[in-house]
Amino acid sequence: MNFSSFSSSPTVATEAQTVKRVKTFALPDKCFEKRIGCAWRRGNQFGIYPRSQNVNKTTSDTASKTDDKILNIRQNIILFTPILRKLVNEANGTFLSVQKLVETSKSSDNQVEFLKLSRQYRSIIRVCIESLQEAAEKETDGLEKNTLLSYITIFYSIECIWHLCEILYIDIIPGEVVLPFLLEWVRFHFPCHEQTAAQLLEACERGSEDHPEYWDTVIGMVVQGRVDVARALLKLHSTADANEFKLVDNSLRSMPVYSVYGGISTGEFTISWKHWQAECRSKLSSGVLAQTPQLELIMRLMTGEYSAFESIRTKYSSWFDMLGGWLLFTAPWARRRELGAAGAACAALAAGAPASRASRLDVAVRALLEGDLHQLIHEIQQISDNGWFASHLTDMLYHCGKLQILDHQTDVTSRLRDSLILEYGSLLMEHKSLWSVGLSYLSFCQPEGPKRAELLLERLPIDTEAKAMRVIAEAKKYGLVDVAQSISAVMGARRLGAGGAAGAGGARGAGGARGAGAALAWGARARCRALCARAAHAALRAYCAERALPAADLLLSAGAALLIDDTLLLLGKYCDFHRLYKNREFRKAAKLLISLITSNIVPEYFWSTLLLDTLPLLETDEPVLSADDTYEIMLCLELRSTCLSAEKADLLRLALARNLARTALIDVDE
Amino acid sequence: MPLDVQGTFVSQKINKIRWIPEDYVETKHFFTGSWDDEENSIKVWSFEFINEEEDVEYPRQLSEYKVDGDVTDIKFLDKKSIAVSVSSGDVRILEISAYDRQTPLKEVHTWKSLHNFSSEKCSCTALDTLEGDVASIGEDGNVNILNSRRGDITRSIKGADSCSLHAVCFIKLNEVITGNIRGHMKIWDTRSANDKPAAAFLLAGDDLAATCITRHPTQPHIILAGSESGSVAVWDLRMNQFPTSLLNAHAAGVTEMHFHPENPNKLLTSSVSGEIWDWNMDMLTKKGLEEYVPLEDKTTLNVTSLMPALHKAINSLHCDRGRILCGADNEAIYLIKNLKY
Repeated sequence: MNFSSFSSSPTVATEAQTVKRVKTFALPDKCFEKRIGCAWRRGNQFGIYPRSQNVNKTTSDTASKTDDKILNIRQNIILFTPILRKLVNEANGTFLSVQKLVETSKSSDNQVEFLKLSRQYRSIIRVCIESLQEAAEKETDGLEKNTLLSYITIFYSIECIWHLCEILYIDIIPGEVVLPFLLEWVRFHFPCHEQTAAQLLEACERGSEDHPEYWDTVIGMVVQGRVDVARALLKLHSTADANEFKLVDNSLRSMPVYSVYGGISTGEFTISWKHWQAECRSKLSSGVLAQTPQLELIMRLMTGEYSAFESIRTKYSSWFDMLGGWLLFTAPWARRRELGAAGAACAALAAGAPASRASRLDVAVRALLEGDLHQLIHEIQQISDNGWFASHLTDMLYHCGKLQILDHQTDVTSRLRDSLILEYGSLLMEHKSLWSVGLSYLSFCQPEGPKRAELLLERLPIDTEAKAMRVIAEAKKYGLVDVAQSISAVMGARRLGAGGAAGAGGARGAGGARGAGAALAWGARARCRALCARAAHAALRAYCAERALPAADLLLSAGAALLIDDTLLLLGKYCDFHRLYKNREFRKAAKLLISLITSNIVPEYFWSTLLLDTLPLLETDEPVLSADDTYEIMLCLELRSTCLSAEKADLLRLALARNLARTALIDVDE
Repeated sequence: MPLDVQGTFVSQKINKIRWIPEDYVETKHFFTGSWDDEENSIKVWSFEFINEEEDVEYPRQLSEYKVDGDVTDIKFLDKKSIAVSVSSGDVRILEISAYDRQTPLKEVHTWKSLHNFSSEKCSCTALDTLEGDVASIGEDGNVNILNSRRGDITRSIKGADSCSLHAVCFIKLNEVITGNIRGHMKIWDTRSANDKPAAAFLLAGDDLAATCITRHPTQPHIILAGSESGSVAVWDLRMNQFPTSLLNAHAAGVTEMHFHPENPNKLLTSSVSGEIWDWNMDMLTKKGLEEYVPLEDKTTLNVTSLMPALHKAINSLHCDRGRILCGADNEAIYLIKNLKY
């Protein structure tokens, strides 16, 4: 049962609202009204059960009548939906590539490789958004569709932040001048008026200003820094030959564009750019443009006038649209670390717009522009993607060497990264199928990760041997030998138990015997002495009861595995004795039997079987037991006469005496 | 043309993958069987052009058949029916329509809990088919020979092994070879009435499981087995007991082996370590009984990797001429094109 949904959209709840994050859920049933108890289960799950005080005597009768229920409550994890599982798995591949890259080349500078991997992450997000969109289109159920749409929103903002982060921290930017990249970012994530512009240009008609969005489009293009497009659009105006238009066109054309490879220094560029802007300003103040307010607005934008930007703010849904334009017309030489002011200015524009509470995305982008990665990570942790974004981005930045987070003068960067990865890995370990993905995350957080993995792996539900073998293989891959052994031991114990239960149920012995074989195989894998001893005892007891030795095929080929435990060794040797006896190799069989009798590893209940087994060997035509052997058997018989019935003991004594009579004077050939 | 690898994520760990054979055209359809998920299923897929502008075909799911437990094996009985083993102990014979692949798979026969520990569930770990006969094995150590036409059990060897069985293969119609969790191989004559193996030998001395067995397509006396340790053993059954070669191959367990149907000298293997290899077996299999392979030749076995190693296990592979499909634990399927054979 699942009625908690923690996937709130990223726009709600800001800082200092921690109290509001506590959610209350009403339990749906009557039985929970009085006293309830709660117990943790594996992962983010817990069970709630009623704790009634009235003791029911006739439990079997009331069990069917009671209305009591046990609720199993778990967190709704969006990453476990089929579409997002693709993202989880694919990102895991990239994550492991990042770790591999870090391991293989600790010293050299790998910016290019990191950039490639960062792009890979982004393309994974893109693919995910596309498949979400596709699913949302197909979905007919309104509620489901809404969920999918909210996922799309989440991943849109993730993509947007990742891209900006890549530009500011991972990408290689010649001369650190960030403007062209930033403009590209704005164009990519906030495409506005693009279609209208394309339509207008395609139609290529004079008098395009009749189009209702003509001026918005032109201004939009200017703000996005697409000067060529803006100029082409202006040429489509019916009075494009007028002086004012020529003036603006000229100003737009002559705008200096900085390029690292342009051959001029930043200083020189700054001077020429300021000169150009001063020219624009003088044109503006001359009042030539007063007749056409739209052109005047364009000119004002070009001079970087704050009020001009303010006036067009309402036309856009967010202040990100303005960021590129603002930077272009106020500080085109800005370097990566100098964007804080621009960010603040643009965000302040937002303040004027109605109903603008700073959204999570706003805060994250501001933090990013200001270079406050700590704040950024804090913000993206609140995104309801179950930590996917926070852990991967932090890991990426950490390995790029761009992350430095101080807490009271101590560097906690690696601790932060580890804690995010650990959290994400443990979350995945909960899932029936994604446990192996989770494990690979945990293994890259030394030293706590493997410890956690150990605890979580031991608690994985394992229903088939195939899964057990796979879990063991994975555990060994990460050096968790203890887990591998304990899983083997549990598998063995379980098979032994299953066999025993089956034996008690109906066909006695056969089930237990079969269980013993499998238990021994697992016990040998686990090198677990206790389990091997238990299984061997079970097999010996089964033999005492049934006279059919279980697991003979295994024991005859076991080899060194027999040495794990004494009882197992006895069982193995005893099995060998049977083989020799069946092959009529009596002499060898007799020798083996005597060595077993004298070895002192025989459990009490098995003595009767072992002693009686000497009987046919004492009665062979050719004597196979020497006088000395006979004495040994006699000694054992007298010491343990209680384990045989008087009749049987007498029979054995008689056989021993007769064998002694015929071998006392001759040596049995070796 | 160089090898071309194309991966698609499918949100399920794939345990078995099989091309559906087609008579006169190159097949576009395939089966997948999933495992280790909340809900597992056998799906039918088809490669289709999804975007008009792109020249790449992507798999699209056509139908789904849910099973209770992991799909442990899928083998063809004929061109349109498959035998499926499930970890709940069931064996099912399913049929796919030859005309419309979209129609759901039809159940022909079902043996419910064929393998069991009395009342408890027991996984049916693998099966093999030969001319309408199905041999299934399970963790209970039993071997069952089923007749897919009549839908009955023709022979059942109870307690064929004291441990769990993990690999099975028909050698001839009346001979089956099994491998258990300790790498103990046994050959069974299904005609004989007693439950004793005709022959038994060990895969390797390391007590690790035999994970897959396959026979050489043109020389039926040659049997190959893959081990949990990643090694591949080759037997010449004319002189069994010891493998003629034991090759340390993959870094972790071999999951599946196939001889290329068009070229019996080509062997393809996949492994838990995420590798998929293409072997040139000329050396090992062309030799007569008395000829020994010189040591230096043995080391120059031709092995090529078909794909950069994945981070997760590759569970299954299947080839159709120059195209190989493989299914992996990272919940993806890969199509490798342009294999030379």
